[in-house]
Amino acid sequence: MKTTLTNFSIKHPWIIIIVSVLITVFFAFQFPKIKIDTDPENMLNKNEPDRIFDHQTKRTFNLYDFIAVGVVANDNVFTPDILDRVYRITEEIENIDGVIADDILAPSVVDDIKQGPGGSIIIETLMGNEISTQQEAQYIFKRIKENPILRGKLASDDGKAIAIFIPIESKNMSYKIAQQIRKIINKYKGKEKYYIAGLPVAEDSFGTMMFAQMAYAAPATFVIIFLLLLMFFRKIKIIIAPLVVALMSVIWAMGLLILTGNTVHIMASMIPIFLIPIAVVNSIYIISEFHSHYTKHQHKDAAIRHSINELFTPMLFVSSVAAVGFFALAITPIPPVRVFGIFIGFGTMVAWLLSLSLNPAFGVLLSAKTLHSFTKIDESKTILSRLLHHFRRFSTAHSKGIIAWTLVVMVISAVGLSMIVVNDNPVKWFKKSHPIRQADEAMNAHLAGTYMNYLVFEGQKKDDIKNPKVEKYIERVQKELSKESNVGATTGLPDIIKKIRYELYGEDSTKMFIPSNQNEIAQLLFLFEMSGGNPDDLFKFVTSDYKEANLWVQMKNGDNQAVSKVVDKANKYIADNPPPLGIQVRWAGLPYINVVWQKMMVGGMRDALILAYFIVFFMMVFLFRSLRWGLISMLPLTITVMAIYGFIGFIGKPYDMPISVLSTLTLGLSVDFAIQFIQRLRTAYKRTNDFQQSLHDNFEGVGRAIMRNVLVISIGFVPMLFSSLVPYITVGAFFLAIELVSGLVTMLLLPAIANIFHKSLFPEVAPATHQGKSKGHK
Amino acid sequence: MKNATRYLSASLLVLALFAASAFAAYDATAIMKKSHLSYYYAGNDGITEVNMTLTNKRGKERKREFTMLRLDLKEGGKQDYYTYFRKPSDVARLTFMVHKIPDGNDLRWIYIPSIDLVKPISADDKNSSFVGSDFTYEDVSGRHWTEDNHTFKGVSQLNGKPVFVIESVPKKPYKGFAKKISYIDTTNYLPLKEEYFNKRGKMIRLFTANKIETIDGIPTVMVRTMENLKKGSKTTVAFSKISYNVGLNKGIFTERYLKNPPRKYIK
Repeated sequence: MKTTLTNFSIKHPWIIIIVSVLITVFFAFQFPKIKIDTDPENMLNKNEPDRIFDHQTKRTFNLYDFIAVGVVANDNVFTPDILDRVYRITEEIENIDGVIADDILAPSVVDDIKQGPGGSIIIETLMGNEISTQQEAQYIFKRIKENPILRGKLASDDGKAIAIFIPIESKNMSYKIAQQIRKIINKYKGKEKYYIAGLPVAEDSFGTMMFAQMAYAAPATFVIIFLLLLMFFRKIKIIIAPLVVALMSVIWAMGLLILTGNTVHIMASMIPIFLIPIAVVNSIYIISEFHSHYTKHQHKDAAIRHSINELFTPMLFVSSVAAVGFFALAITPIPPVRVFGIFIGFGTMVAWLLSLSLNPAFGVLLSAKTLHSFTKIDESKTILSRLLHHFRRFSTAHSKGIIAWTLVVMVISAVGLSMIVVNDNPVKWFKKSHPIRQADEAMNAHLAGTYMNYLVFEGQKKDDIKNPKVEKYIERVQKELSKESNVGATTGLPDIIKKIRYELYGEDSTKMFIPSNQNEIAQLLFLFEMSGGNPDDLFKFVTSDYKEANLWVQMKNGDNQAVSKVVDKANKYIADNPPPLGIQVRWAGLPYINVVWQKMMVGGMRDALILAYFIVFFMMVFLFRSLRWGLISMLPLTITVMAIYGFIGFIGKPYDMPISVLSTLTLGLSVDFAIQFIQRLRTAYKRTNDFQQSLHDNFEGVGRAIMRNVLVISIGFVPMLFSSLVPYITVGAFFLAIELVSGLVTMLLLPAIANIFHKSLFPEVAPATHQGKSKGHK
Repeated sequence: MKNATRYLSASLLVLALFAASAFAAYDATAIMKKSHLSYYYAGNDGITEVNMTLTNKRGKERKREFTMLRLDLKEGGKQDYYTYFRKPSDVARLTFMVHKIPDGNDLRWIYIPSIDLVKPISADDKNSSFVGSDFTYEDVSGRHWTEDNHTFKGVSQLNGKPVFVIESVPKKPYKGFAKKISYIDTTNYLPLKEEYFNKRGKMIRLFTANKIETIDGIPTVMVRTMENLKKGSKTTVAFSKISYNVGLNKGIFTERYLKNPPRKYIK
């Protein structure tokens, strides 16, 4: 096969080029049909029970995802001026498209339960009239503090912050709506600070910014890789092929993804960035090999044939291994990860095919003049070359030391691995300096929290929730939850019942308890509906048939770890203290959903990684027809994965969505050098039958190519380090780390091991035998 | 022939326009007054059983059943209402009383049987919901015709019945609506349909009289519906066992009877 394709490419370069271009054009035409999906919730399958329940809860209790606006002043937000601005801002926000105006929680629209004239109780708007004096402003603050339904939620206890909760029709609108809110705020704002927070804004803004940054990061990476290639190979005509291969692979992979009707999710948006290095790597080997062969023999076609011949097997394995790593993602239970894995795997194989066909095709078209000046570069005198032989000498001189140090590094990494903390929070996908992060910090420092979860109590029959036993049970769960420092507030039907009772008996706090008579509970709630209370407010906490209740659990910290802790504590309490009347208790809410998909993601990624690891191992044993070589070839990737993830464990960086996705990429990229190095070393040995000579040749040949790859990929992704999105910085840092570590291990550890065990690893064989054998290899 | 038809229709149109302008000039407020009196002040007093069905936007229903007593103290003026709740069963025996004062604030009391407590209920907001339904307190006891400016919009047909179309705009800015269009039966003056609009001109609520019967010679809306178009909810009210002019005593409409319902009328 390898000769067929290469021969065809050499004979009919234009056919290869035209066909590739046509296919590329076809895939490029799919791009306008792109469907973008930035909702992290889609990490979960549509019919995932927790997700279905979350949606059902929102429908049952008429709840929406919300944007939280914070108003924070240095001393006191309760002044007539600021309240007036808050009033006006709220009024304008009501008119924004996509805002559920009726459900906004703000001082000027929210209801308060209070004493009316003549000892009556009345439910009316907290700030129904204009506030003109400081005294009136303080009164509003006092009312919020005395209302357990509003306290901490609408205003902080220190009076420095007010919150407005703005429910929106769909969380995919939150970025757009947040921008309109910002405009309104800018129109009115005074000295006080305004913040816009909430998971939906973070998630939706991330999605929007991600595509914007991809539009800048991918070309920037491309340009840097172009410049680096130019530096190594001097001739633009020479380096066109690798760039075209990279570009085409990206277009084919994305085009097929779009063509097959898949949506471009956060994951899939990273395909170009991941595919570029994978695509470029192969070409660098080919050009390097071509260069050294052509320089020696000055025969173009022969040099091309030789390069492909030498590289076909290692490239096939390198690409297959990388693709296996990606295809393994198809076993994860996370749809966007599956899509990502399958199409980047496809892209990897496209890159392999195109490298094998386009490089020769472009090579054939090169003029003698171009090639002449190309070969004038004397590679043996470059810094790169000197560095390579330093590595070679060092690794053979200190073989045992290198192995010992490797073991030390592995032990330390293992310790770091054990320290890995699984955690994630879409808000933290933004840098600390980003307004979304700052809003999150400021609001959660003052108020009850911007992370809203729901604890749903499902009764067996109508009116179960009115049962005093049930109300008292919910109250106990609330008490238990409030012990958690992350829980800023819980709000439920018991709070409303107690508040009505408190006001009914003339603000008597001794009456503020759940009555033991079910009729009284029913009648107090009836009183609420007769005293101006909006039944819709009630039905955010209970269904109209009183079969299900909903407890709002507000959290200050949306980290999955922090949310999980509360969820686990509550679940344990509920398991230890079973609810009355056979009531079932379940969690819902966006932060909870994030916890669910993270758990599935981490588990899924671990399984995918383990599966891929073993498949790669078997492939290596098969490739080298040797268990020992198979094991040795796994070392660079094993050490790289251990060192990087161990380092992450040590510095305490949480293992989050981007980091878990990168694990399979690490696998694919870091095994590359080992395959090239070992395969070529063995080929060289078969040729020379002299270990030291083979090692020397190997450093000269493939060693240089590896070094170039290390530099191209690690430097190529530097632009990503300057992104404002943390996952992008992570990706950039990862590429750098993968290349450096696996490059180092390949250049130091592999020669060291080969050196120590060369007698058994490279048995002396008669040249005739190994020639025959080597044919069988390919 | 053709000419004759044209002549006839033209003259009818002129006549209609003339009639319309005549109504507009003289009768909008009078129609609304007459309508108000026949709808809210039928007879001198009345007793009815009320079945209320509250349906939310997802079709879930809640029921309320109560007996309502009404006594007119002055035609078009003060009225007393007494309501005795039967269902839902956990609020049974709860009673509610209103002294309606058209040119002032109504007085309202509630009796909560489980804690044996009578409490006034604030009546500041007439636009707030009546027992959680889509009807407001004002819908139940009536918005006085003098609070709005009425404009005659013409005579039209509604389900085969001729109706006056009247547009009402509150004299003082009002939370409940910015404009109301009423369709009033030209024979019995009962409102057959009312459309409530907010200040942006969007219809927010829709009232429909679904069934009209004549009881003791008085045309009465037996089934009525109020739809909240914003929320997607609706409330249907069905009257039964109506009797007019039973000779209710003013003494019934006092706090004492809140705790001890008048057994003569409430069984």
